[in-house]
Amino acid sequence: MEPTMNPLLPFLMAGDPSLAALPGLLSEAKALGLDAIEVGLPHSDPIADGPVLQAAAQRAIADGATPIKVLEALAACAESPDVILFTYLNPLFQLGAERLIGLLRPTPVKALLVVDLPDDQEPDFERTLRDAGYPMVPLLAPTTDLERAKGLLARRPDPGPGAPFAQRFAYVVARLGVTGSDQATDLAPVRERVAALRGLSERPLAVGFGLGDPASLAAVRRWGTTPVVGSALVKALAAGTGLTGFLTPRLT
Amino acid sequence: MTHAAPHATAFTLPDRFGTAEFGGCYAPETLMQPLLDLEAAFVAAVEDPAFQLELKTELRNFVGRPTPLTPAPRLAARLGLDALYLKREDLTHTGAHKINNALAQALLAKRMGKAEIIAETGAGQHGVATAAACARLGLSCTVYMGVTDMARQAPNVARMRMFGATVVPVASGQGTLKEAVNEALRAWAGRCDAAHYILGSALGPHPFPTMVRTFQTVIGEEALAQVLEQRGALPDAVIACAGGGSNGLGLLVPFLGYRLRRFVVEAGGHGDGLGEHAARVSREGQGGGRVGVLHGCKTLLLQDEHGHTAETASISAGLDYPALGPRTRRPRPGREGGGAAGLRRDGAGGREGPV
Repeated sequence: MEPTMNPLLPFLMAGDPSLAALPGLLSEAKALGLDAIEVGLPHSDPIADGPVLQAAAQRAIADGATPIKVLEALAACAESPDVILFTYLNPLFQLGAERLIGLLRPTPVKALLVVDLPDDQEPDFERTLRDAGYPMVPLLAPTTDLERAKGLLARRPDPGPGAPFAQRFAYVVARLGVTGSDQATDLAPVRERVAALRGLSERPLAVGFGLGDPASLAAVRRWGTTPVVGSALVKALAAGTGLTGFLTPRLT
Repeated sequence: MTHAAPHATAFTLPDRFGTAEFGGCYAPETLMQPLLDLEAAFVAAVEDPAFQLELKTELRNFVGRPTPLTPAPRLAARLGLDALYLKREDLTHTGAHKINNALAQALLAKRMGKAEIIAETGAGQHGVATAAACARLGLSCTVYMGVTDMARQAPNVARMRMFGATVVPVASGQGTLKEAVNEALRAWAGRCDAAHYILGSALGPHPFPTMVRTFQTVIGEEALAQVLEQRGALPDAVIACAGGGSNGLGLLVPFLGYRLRRFVVEAGGHGDGLGEHAARVSREGQGGGRVGVLHGCKTLLLQDEHGHTAETASISAGLDYPALGPRTRRPRPGREGGGAAGLRRDGAGGREGPV
């Protein structure tokens, strides 16, 4: 097992159930010993998200969770795992790289995962953020063959073992489609992909999309990869289940 | 015959347009390889005389092309014009220009070995056209449509179903074209191994804007030949409406390079505030579009200060879209008529500009 192996990478949507709840949730995640957490910055048109995260984004936006308010709320989170800010390009693009960096500085954000930003589309924007310490997480989909994966990993490089998990890992998309765990995901194909990707890179891998039940998460963990739990957690939080209560049975 | 797309590793066609570098391919990674392969298949098809012949034959025998160019002398007199001609895309099979692109893309999908088609629709014209093209070619068809549009365009929903398509209601947001595109993109990400997404307008990630423009220019090519034949001269101006921009590009592109005025008309809605119109270009800088990224391309986008897409309003379901396709360019300042907000009547606002 790699030294940077992180047992679980949870996702929650900033502003859902409320921005006021964010510091408490992140502090609970920290107390569980998690290295990193994905925090969604809600966007009006989340084209890679399923119904659960779409609804969470809508609730958060309706509740006033603008990009600036989300980043300000994150800045007030003293106790937090490293945060990977998960979002779409346009809200960040409207802020611009310089202003965004200024807003990120006081937050626990260590990396960005921008679903609709391939690495060659906004090279200046991406370089400015990376140079400031905010690299983009590479995504590897079921449609990404090994040759393409090699290029993606090289263009969003691993800063090396001295860097935190949040800045090193690549995100392996477990299946075609959007986020959400309503359908069970067949783990055999992604297991093969993970094995093949191991031959390309030493960097830590997280596996997400369609995982939620403890058994799937445990299976992914046995491969030496970090499972992502998103929609299932967001649903549980919306239903009033606590973060610790939901994540504890999913940590081992 | 199936021509499996070569496994492409890079785009070969230009994907950025104008000094603002609109366009691009802002797609989730899952869709990148399908988009690369689609571009390769599109380029191969366009260069293949057999594909061109098949498309031309189907446009004649199934769509009913060429469509007439109808002189409208009484309307011309009423407007104080010497002459006015209407390019009759309403006389195609299924009643709109959308069939030109839908049929061509369906042929392309079949060539790529894809048996399933996904489409979005706003007014329903593209949905009907895609459903008809799929019925013609024996492809299965699923159309995503906002619930607001389904209610106001119910006859088109019935026609899609008559052609054997499944119509999936999209209830999120304001239930119009933007939400339908969101849902179609999501569905494609889930089925991109088996399905082709027939985007109906000249928007979305590369290569869609270029592909749709290419398949729609038959409108302007015919119109140019027909007006020269009927009038013996070029027109003084060419006018088209633009929701996403496929109709506008289709008519106006073949008229590029000639000395005449080109107008694109967009939806003026019922007010000047954000959410009360779909005037991306006409009101740029005054509650209109700002450069942003939506549905895979960078373009003029109606959005709030936070980068969330704004709602839109129009009496026309087909013009109710917050972004203008990246290949329909803004007027260049200083050009003749470039600053004129020319047309505004019955809820439509317009501005002249090159496309």
